[in-house]
Amino acid sequence: MRRLSYFVREALRNIRGNRTTTLIAVATTAFTLACFGVFLLLYLNLRGVANSLEDDIQVIIYLADGQSPQAVADFQRRLRAEPEVATLTYVSKEQALADFRTQYPAEHQLLQGLGENPLPASVVVTMAPRFRSSEAVKRWAERLNGAPGVAQVQYNRDWIENLTAVMGFIELAAVGVGIILSAASVTIIASTIRLTLYARRDEVEIMRLIGATGAFIKIPYLLEGAVLGALGGALSLALLRGGFEFFKMQLGSTGRLLGIDSNFGFFPVRVSLAIVLVGLMLGGAGSFVSLMEFGRTRS
Amino acid sequence: MIQLFHVSKYYDRRPALHDINLQIKKGEFVLLMGPSGAGKTTLLKLLFCADQPDEGQILVQNRNVARLRPRDLPHLRRTMGFVFQDFKLLPKKNVFENVALPLMVQGMSAFDTRRKVGEALKAVGVEHRQHSRPPSLSAGEQQRVCIARGIVNGPMILLADEPTGNMDPDLSSEIIELFKTINARGTTVMIATHNRQVVNQVHRRVVTLNQGRLVSDEGSGE
Repeated sequence: MRRLSYFVREALRNIRGNRTTTLIAVATTAFTLACFGVFLLLYLNLRGVANSLEDDIQVIIYLADGQSPQAVADFQRRLRAEPEVATLTYVSKEQALADFRTQYPAEHQLLQGLGENPLPASVVVTMAPRFRSSEAVKRWAERLNGAPGVAQVQYNRDWIENLTAVMGFIELAAVGVGIILSAASVTIIASTIRLTLYARRDEVEIMRLIGATGAFIKIPYLLEGAVLGALGGALSLALLRGGFEFFKMQLGSTGRLLGIDSNFGFFPVRVSLAIVLVGLMLGGAGSFVSLMEFGRTRS
Repeated sequence: MIQLFHVSKYYDRRPALHDINLQIKKGEFVLLMGPSGAGKTTLLKLLFCADQPDEGQILVQNRNVARLRPRDLPHLRRTMGFVFQDFKLLPKKNVFENVALPLMVQGMSAFDTRRKVGEALKAVGVEHRQHSRPPSLSAGEQQRVCIARGIVNGPMILLADEPTGNMDPDLSSEIIELFKTINARGTTVMIATHNRQVVNQVHRRVVTLNQGRLVSDEGSGE
């Protein structure tokens, strides 16, 4: 307990004693995590939007004309038994025509010219949640395409694939930016700790000579790095929150009108804590790197 | 207590120590004499495991320092005290904190630390300066604090490198008397010095080095 208080005291003394380098390290970590945070915020919000859109994923199965009511009923029964199907709605030829007339009142004369109702009967399927991915929908639709009595299968494939591609790109960018900026953050914190160690090299030497173990000497510096990282993490959250509120304010009534405003949200508490934790770990890693180098040169 | 067998140490291929054989018994008071560059500091550094010999073997308290694992080194050092010519006190810590450091690294309780630091400061006569920081102390006071730090954990061996360097004769005499008192309590003391006055004051064993070679060993009783 006494040692722990010594370690904390020493770490805080180091931080107070090197205000300029401390500020630089905290600001760099904050900037790094904020850059990564922007991607994360965008990704999480888009994922939220994507999840809500995926709830609406529907597959429309157009049936071949001339089937008996019994065959259509059998087909529906078979579909209901499939795990991919959450709900199923049958739209008859007559219902399809009525819907067309309601939706496009100006164009319904076009169909009158054709005489017989050209619109096919269809079955509208809402996919079960675990089969709403682009791949799963595609696989299932392709399987149905060749089934007897099925004229055509349609689903909103383009936007599913586009959204998946955008999400993948953001994921990749977030990981790439995260790795590069994390390395920068570790380097900066390592430099800060290296400066502290250099300024206190005589002290470290004395500690060694009086019988201090490597751990006893190093722990305050590891704590210092971790504290700097955590402070950087907390500051990055403050920056992100400020930026987020500013963005929402700028979006204003336009956003509310489009319904974007209600869909956008800041990080939940556990993600915020995770960002501070990541900062802490980056700081600890920076200290560790400089201590490894210091140990090699002065052992 | 301390044994050196054919010890040599080279810096840039030049011998700082050459084929040194030396045995120091428990409770001895040994002066290590010689001009600057004779190898006194190198010898002390080897004994304190701050460096390794290039040839030969060194036994400190029956432990071969060359074969010591790095993790065992701090534990050996805790049985030794070291007094530096330039004191090596931490300027941002006060006298009490400086002297308490060797006990702190051993994880001693606050109560025992207070007691032992108090005793060590009293033994060297600077207990009244325990709240002062080293830069505000005189050279003599700083050296006393350094000695207090060296003896606070009751070491078996106390090594001192030019502890009276840059001090006037009166102050130098006081410091040497302190070492004699510490030795009288049973601690093996080895002092590296080039000051003849110290030899005249102590009248104990004198080991003389010159250009890295042991040229005389007087008063060892052997």
